[in-house]
Amino acid sequence: MSVGRPLVEVRGIRYGYPGGAAALQGVSLQVSAGERLAVLGPNGAGKSTLLLHLNGLLLPAQGSVLVDGIVVSEATARETRRRVGFVFQNPDDQLFLPTLLEDVAFAPLNDGQPGPAAEARARATLRELGIEHAADRAAHHLSGGERRLAALATVLVSRPDVLVLDEPTDALDARGRRRVVDLLRGRPETLVVATHDLAAAAALCERAVVLDEGVVVWDAPLDRLLAAHPFLERHGLMAPLPDQPSGAPKRQA
Amino acid sequence: MSFRHLDRYAGVPSPVTRLAPSARVLATVVLALAAALLPLGAWPQMAGLTLVVLGIAVAARMPVRVLAVRLAPPLVFVLLVSAALPVLVPGTTVAHIGPLSLSDAGLLRFGSVLGRALPALAAAVVLVSTLRFTELVQALRDLRLPRAVTTALGLAYRYLYILTDEVEQLQRAARSRNAGAGAASRRRLLMGIAAASLGRSFARSERVHQAMLARGYRDGIPALRPQPMDRRSLSALAIVCAVALGIAWTAHL
Amino acid sequence: MAHIPDGFLSAPVLATTTVASAGALALAAHRSRQQLRDRQAPLLGAATAFVFAAQMFNFPLGAGTSAHLLGGVLVAAVAGPWVGMLVLFSVILVQALLFQDGGVTAIGANTLNMAVVGAGVGYLLYRWLRLLLGEGLRRRVLAASLAAYVSAALVGTSVAVELALSGTVPLRPALLAVGGSHLLVGLGEALLTGGILGMAARLRPELIEGAPVTRRARRWAFGGLGVALVVAVGAAYGASTRPDALASAAGSLGLAAHSGTWRPLAQYSGAGPWGALLGVGVVFVLAWALFRVSAGRRPA
Repeated sequence: MSVGRPLVEVRGIRYGYPGGAAALQGVSLQVSAGERLAVLGPNGAGKSTLLLHLNGLLLPAQGSVLVDGIVVSEATARETRRRVGFVFQNPDDQLFLPTLLEDVAFAPLNDGQPGPAAEARARATLRELGIEHAADRAAHHLSGGERRLAALATVLVSRPDVLVLDEPTDALDARGRRRVVDLLRGRPETLVVATHDLAAAAALCERAVVLDEGVVVWDAPLDRLLAAHPFLERHGLMAPLPDQPSGAPKRQA
Repeated sequence: MSFRHLDRYAGVPSPVTRLAPSARVLATVVLALAAALLPLGAWPQMAGLTLVVLGIAVAARMPVRVLAVRLAPPLVFVLLVSAALPVLVPGTTVAHIGPLSLSDAGLLRFGSVLGRALPALAAAVVLVSTLRFTELVQALRDLRLPRAVTTALGLAYRYLYILTDEVEQLQRAARSRNAGAGAASRRRLLMGIAAASLGRSFARSERVHQAMLARGYRDGIPALRPQPMDRRSLSALAIVCAVALGIAWTAHL
Repeated sequence: MAHIPDGFLSAPVLATTTVASAGALALAAHRSRQQLRDRQAPLLGAATAFVFAAQMFNFPLGAGTSAHLLGGVLVAAVAGPWVGMLVLFSVILVQALLFQDGGVTAIGANTLNMAVVGAGVGYLLYRWLRLLLGEGLRRRVLAASLAAYVSAALVGTSVAVELALSGTVPLRPALLAVGGSHLLVGLGEALLTGGILGMAARLRPELIEGAPVTRRARRWAFGGLGVALVVAVGAAYGASTRPDALASAAGSLGLAAHSGTWRPLAQYSGAGPWGALLGVGVVFVLAWALFRVSAGRRPA
């Protein structure tokens, strides 16, 4: 991987959903290898839309996306999807086969690996995430947290260079969020994380891009963003609340 | 909804479970077919085929008692459905039950329907008890069913669980809103739940589709542990075919 | 309900229904693949799970009655006839193999009845009725409802015909019992299909879109209705002036009273069966033509 060239490059992309308003109205940004980027913004800002462009699930109406120098298109889908792993918001959307092992082996099998090799890779990934015991179980027999790990495993098995995550801490309690963040922090992949969870973003990412109504309104270090309270408010973001002490909140007398 | 113990004996190593799934499915079909080919009143052959299925059950280490218990509900159903036959089919009256007269032709058909259904049902019960769902899908794929159907069946397994979880959630939500006292409102409630599920199922299929594409899906899901037809399975299948069809043939002599 | 168990049908009927449904399914697989490409499998899977769950459900209709949903027209109205057929087939497959609901050997016959007739012909009826009834969400839902009713009746009829051709039950009692009960079942099917589709389409109107109704297509639809009526009247008139042909057909189909044994379709005599075949053929060609015209630019 060349040091100078960014790993992911988004060049002025525009996208509008059929029958709807424009979702992205000219977005550009660059992600270098090893970076951890949080994509923030209010609902409908275009975060998910932007993410879906990074592995070619959506193709821009104008502009282009490059992954490791390759232009993302129908023809290069296979190449780009090998490098960019996408973790969706709902783990159940990614665990669609009867057993966990089959789900995790899905990507290597599609990539042409023979059965035993794919299975070995899948088991290794499950072991890495600590859920190998559930390999022959169906996803609905796992807890919510385990399901998130399983969904992550289905993507990590391909050893992508970039991990794109859409709301990875969605619907998790504080402990679950902690676990996800700690896990991701220990990983070497480049991260692009779309999230509402500013606390998790702060713990995980050093850089933030804020989207509002389809344009980038901020692209700078995250800690600076958290200090800019009027800016946060203007773009529908809430600064992370300090962690509440355990027990009921004190009542006003 | 739990289908968990349907394939209780699939994990039990036996001469049957060692055979290729496609062979086992074909054998079941052949046995059912042989039963269907039996003419009216071929009692010895009906017993013979049933014994063959019992033998297979024993070989699969499936207790006969369990087989009988699982066989009972569908058999009773067939009984109920065919109970009309002695009355509906014209012939020489043999007996009376109240105002209804039972004809000899009708009784013959009644008995024959039961006699044909028994070995066919038993074969199906043995199959489902000794075959994992994943193996069934693989067998159907090996038997050249349309790929869309076999892939869809593989996905339907998880979809079904997610769907029922969702329906339970919706029902709980409705109940907590104290919806539906009378029958009419209960009906509307159920239909509303069904309608919501319909829409959500289609939306989910779009997201799953994206998740599949993101992991390299092109056309059909490659098998993790393909168990293609080997010589042992083929011979076993040939033996079952010969015996079953031979029995059926003797009935036509 | 409509699922025929093993043991009721004769080998020739099993064979012909299996071949017929296999052909229809092959076409459906091909067409839906053209239509959906790689969206095919996840869509089919979701719809299969939905129909499977819906068929298991007991929908209370009030007054102590409850109805079961077959789902053929429901799926076809939302996803088209090809998906509809494939979904019903998948459901029948799973039900037969895993739950012994419906015979393994009868998979072909059940598929012909529920998937090809129930969903496929049901869809044709739906499109035709849509053309007749015109635009608007309510009318589309009504069309689906009516189509569901008629398709349920047709399913019952084909089950009865298969039983009769197998020699298990004579045609008249079979039609009365099975066909008749399906006329009742059809009520539930119509109610449920209309209700569910109506509510679902209100939430997501794109579920029930399909090609727009053009005046030309409507004219074809009304024309087709007229032709069908003429054929029906003509057949009735012809039957009344040629009682011998009808009697021989009736006799060979076991409709007439027999004192002893009866032989279903033991011999063909007279023009009776050929007339019926011609009539069916005309209706099918008509339906096919209507479908091609109304499908127009976009399949549903």
